[in-house]
Amino acid sequence: MSEDLEQVFVSLVKDSWKKYNEDIYNSRVDDMLVGAVIYSNVELGYSLIDITSDGVYHHLRFEHLPTKQRVIFELRNLTEDLLSAKVLGRRARVVIGYGCQVQNFGTLWQTLKAEVKSSFVDSTEPGVITCDADVSSGYIYAQVPLLFDLDQYFGGNYQVNYELLQHHINATVHSLAKYLQGRLTA
Amino acid sequence: MFSFLAKFQHKQEMRESKDEILIGEIVRAMTRAGNIPIGFRASDDWQSVVFKPVNDQVLNVIVLMLDRKTGDNAIQQAIFGSKAVITMQCELKNYLVDPDDLIRMYKTDLKNIFKMPLLGEVKLDHQLNSILATKKLIIEIDNYILKGEQSVNNLTNLLTTNITELRGKLAPYKKT
Repeated sequence: MSEDLEQVFVSLVKDSWKKYNEDIYNSRVDDMLVGAVIYSNVELGYSLIDITSDGVYHHLRFEHLPTKQRVIFELRNLTEDLLSAKVLGRRARVVIGYGCQVQNFGTLWQTLKAEVKSSFVDSTEPGVITCDADVSSGYIYAQVPLLFDLDQYFGGNYQVNYELLQHHINATVHSLAKYLQGRLTA
Repeated sequence: MFSFLAKFQHKQEMRESKDEILIGEIVRAMTRAGNIPIGFRASDDWQSVVFKPVNDQVLNVIVLMLDRKTGDNAIQQAIFGSKAVITMQCELKNYLVDPDDLIRMYKTDLKNIFKMPLLGEVKLDHQLNSILATKKLIIEIDNYILKGEQSVNNLTNLLTTNITELRGKLAPYKKT
């Protein structure tokens, strides 16, 4: 009898830890996304050159050192609490940008004009491509906000589908690069 | 540079980004070893990453902190190189503890009071149901980045050797 009760107690403790870990896991999903993005990009030959994180907004910047092409990310978990994650599924707002260095001042100036126009666009909606320029380093960027369904990348017990994430990042960067090259040669 | 780009730090020279490059390499090396990054804190010269060792029966989390001390400007870089302090901390978690355990643990805490993690010694610290093992090392960042496979191997060896040591110190305290 006594052993039975002890077994019940042990199972209650185990169950409590399971629930506790479920909460922790959910609150850590955005950091897992940051880690997965860093791993995927470093494996693709990019170097992480900037990381800023306040625990809610995460900003990452990568550079492919031989070609000087840059990729930038802003990541934010939209379903940090367990209730919304269970109802909506885990979601994150991800802004991905592609940047390349230009030496021609005229091109930079044209991009700056596009940047001014971009500031009038409601870029909080997904799929809206905007342009930005960093005059000090001579980089121009095209960026797009997207909403990612995190459940497709992260399974239970910290399993990560890096292949799918790399594929999605590649597709976005490829499209942004094509868009930016089109603007530069137009 | 109106909105989105203004949120980034924009370090002007690659020299200033060496600690971030190292963080990227650490994330890759740890992930390859089956440790999933689950927490990030980052400011200008200080970064901390929490890893979950998914299939490890002893460790709950591994925390790596990188604090860059020199090399921010060209003169420092030339004189001192790019020195940083890397703090490695492993956590063991027991899922059921009682007050007697805590009293027993005071003995090891007392033994550890005078240990100096910065001198390469492992310091153990008991906190309720967690036991932490900490070690600090002063490293030269240039040895671990931008040298292809050689720097990847150097970094993997550094992390594996020290985490194995910390794990060994914690293993006797793991309750089944």
